[in-house]
Amino acid sequence: MKRHLTWEFLMVRYPAFFPLILLVLALAINLFLQPNMFDRETLNSNMRVFLPLILLAVGQAIVLLGGGIDISVGGVVSIINTILATRVGLDGSPEKMWQFVMISLLVGALAGAINGFFIAYLRLQPIITTYATSFLYAGLALFILPNPGGGIPAEIANLYRTSTPLGLPLAFYVTAILLLVWSYVSSTRYGKYLFAVGGKATAAYETAVPVTRVQFSIYIISGFMAALAGIALTMLSGSGNAEIGGQMTLNSITAVVIGGNAFSGGIGGVAGPVMGAMTLSLIQNIISFAHINTWWETLAKAMIIVLALAVPGIINLIRRRRA
Amino acid sequence: MAKSLSARNIVKHYGGVVALSDGNLDVHTGEVVALIGANGSGKSTMSKVINGVVVLDAGQLLLDDKPVNFSSPQAAKNMGIATVFQELSLIPQMTVAENIWLTREPMTGFGTVNRSAIKEKTEQLLSLFRGTYKTELRPDDTVGSLPPDEKQLIEILKAISFNPWMVILDEATASLDSRQVERLFELIGDWKGTDKAIVFISHRMEEIFRIADKYSVLRNGKTVGAGDMKDINDKELVKLMIEKESVFSFSRADSKNDKKDKPICLEVKDLQTDSLHGVSFSVHEGELVGIGGLRGQGQRDLLLSLFGDIPYSGVISIFGNAIKLRHPRDAMKRGLALIPGDRAREGLLYIRSILENLILPSWAQYGFPLRIGKAKKDAEQAGASLNLKMAGLAEPVSSLSGGNAQKVVLGKWLMRRPRLLLLDDPTKGVDVGTKAEFYTLLTRLCSEGKTILFYSSTDEELVGMCDRVLVLYDGIIRTELSGASLTKENLIAASLGASNEGAV
Repeated sequence: MKRHLTWEFLMVRYPAFFPLILLVLALAINLFLQPNMFDRETLNSNMRVFLPLILLAVGQAIVLLGGGIDISVGGVVSIINTILATRVGLDGSPEKMWQFVMISLLVGALAGAINGFFIAYLRLQPIITTYATSFLYAGLALFILPNPGGGIPAEIANLYRTSTPLGLPLAFYVTAILLLVWSYVSSTRYGKYLFAVGGKATAAYETAVPVTRVQFSIYIISGFMAALAGIALTMLSGSGNAEIGGQMTLNSITAVVIGGNAFSGGIGGVAGPVMGAMTLSLIQNIISFAHINTWWETLAKAMIIVLALAVPGIINLIRRRRA
Repeated sequence: MAKSLSARNIVKHYGGVVALSDGNLDVHTGEVVALIGANGSGKSTMSKVINGVVVLDAGQLLLDDKPVNFSSPQAAKNMGIATVFQELSLIPQMTVAENIWLTREPMTGFGTVNRSAIKEKTEQLLSLFRGTYKTELRPDDTVGSLPPDEKQLIEILKAISFNPWMVILDEATASLDSRQVERLFELIGDWKGTDKAIVFISHRMEEIFRIADKYSVLRNGKTVGAGDMKDINDKELVKLMIEKESVFSFSRADSKNDKKDKPICLEVKDLQTDSLHGVSFSVHEGELVGIGGLRGQGQRDLLLSLFGDIPYSGVISIFGNAIKLRHPRDAMKRGLALIPGDRAREGLLYIRSILENLILPSWAQYGFPLRIGKAKKDAEQAGASLNLKMAGLAEPVSSLSGGNAQKVVLGKWLMRRPRLLLLDDPTKGVDVGTKAEFYTLLTRLCSEGKTILFYSSTDEELVGMCDRVLVLYDGIIRTELSGASLTKENLIAASLGASNEGAV
């Protein structure tokens, strides 16, 4: 049993171990700066802001696990936001809203399928392909809504903003459902294929894993999750802005990497990235509560993130030195 | 149920290179067939044809006397043919159980993998090799953390887990220790009894004689002999593997002078790396010493450790000075040069110009700022002395033929005027004409007092060129051949670890 409790074992088998430490740390600091953090109202206002990034990070986590990367998710978020803001409108009916929510999910999956087709079937580089399509999607969003404006009915936005079933934020339930779904998916055959393709695609191919189809599927999942994130973000803001998703892509990748998933694929899960997304959002909170000069905000945030990314590497380095 | 697979007159080209010109093989259930041949005789191509990894160009595969066609490894697998590859098909991040049962996981009614069933089935398989693991091997161990021999065992277990009727073991024993090989042989014995057929590819003569019932010998892509093991001995097998008339017509212009009176250029004592287990030898100045043996017996490690490229233990002395080589620059400072055979990966920057490639190891000596004129002149000279056929120094290396590209690799090191050259299979993929030029050049370099350590996978080269040949087998120098004992027959026999080593 002894050899099982090594650092490698923890990192490989429980990839969410390190992000959990980070999350607890971030929560502690945040609680110190904002003592009423766990009040129902504060908790809800925090979680509803965190949810879009959490959703995006889950999709990105699946892509990274399968050995790819999706840089176009921010563009998809923008498209969904502009579609909802222009098609539903501030005075739209709830029926219309739900109708377009469905359409949004389809659009997201389609955007992902375009990525997946290029990458899995035409064998193009994931990073190049999704970088290119990110401009396609961002451009499409600008085409739909050139100037910020439009929106969704306030009653529906409030449904998202203020619902706290059984005293817990709505976002909490969504996250719980995601984790439950993942714990199921990861133990299905598809889950095993995902790890196999991300781990070593050639070996997976020799073992008759449908590599191409798995690669195709991860981008559809990512597009779908980006659409969900876009819907959540639109309900949070209540209005339309074609540039709303722009900076979310990098945050989603950072969240996944902080969450302990290997950039090279095949290692990790979804719980870690969810925690990573929360940690990243908490860092944002901490920065604003610490009254750091606005000019320094980006620098401070970046330094914390770089440190969070470097710590596992530093621990490994120290261990190698000792060995 | 008795089954059989026959390969008839198989032809396979890779580009212009003929890997198989007339390959034949017959395998029946209940027997172990040894597929034997020297380096490059087409053994692996043959096994890849019958397991569907490569598609044959001509010839026929017969399964139970009916023609079949394997378009993919999967097609062969569906026909019950399993292969244990030397290059492993395992996913390092996944567990032992997940790897063995990938795509064939036992499922529960909810569509999830049945964890207790997969564990139990894996335990059963693991128990086949129980007692030979270094630590207790569990189904949920991550494959990436296992030592190479245990990975190989998992690969074997993975292959037999779907109960094939035919198992191809392609050098599967190479990384196993003796206890594991023993256990594998016991299992092969059991499999024979349960109507399985085994194709056994190994370079170890002793193993072949212990386990095989039949043999099939390949030489230059042709099957030149097949029969029962009991009707043949190892000397006869070696004879079958050797070309009667050699296509190799080079012999050194200068007689192989005795260089024993020259000072010792290189002395190696008890050199050890991951694949070398204590190698000691010395080389005199001006000697051309060959390193022989089958692929992967530690030749590469020997050259790389001499060049400071990989960590090693042991003592390396160059011209009497014991030195610790920590980095290739330590070796370069002492006048060593390593000419790799894998030009594309290690030797050249293909998209850059010939000039840049030639001065890459020595640009520092052209000062700062770079004296490009002098560099060009020296490069021109190096090119001319190597008879390099090029449109100009500014052309990219990718515009050269394989032989000329290899000359650039040699040239870039000769520009540093090395005293000791380490050659790692330099004539691989080089045309015949350039090869001849190469041999002349090597001879000239030796007569100029340069010392050469020459690994080649072509046995004729070693016999024709070298003063002495050190034959590596399993990471040790098995035999040293020189003078009259340096014949192709002895070289191959020693490479295979046959009994008549070196003695003539």
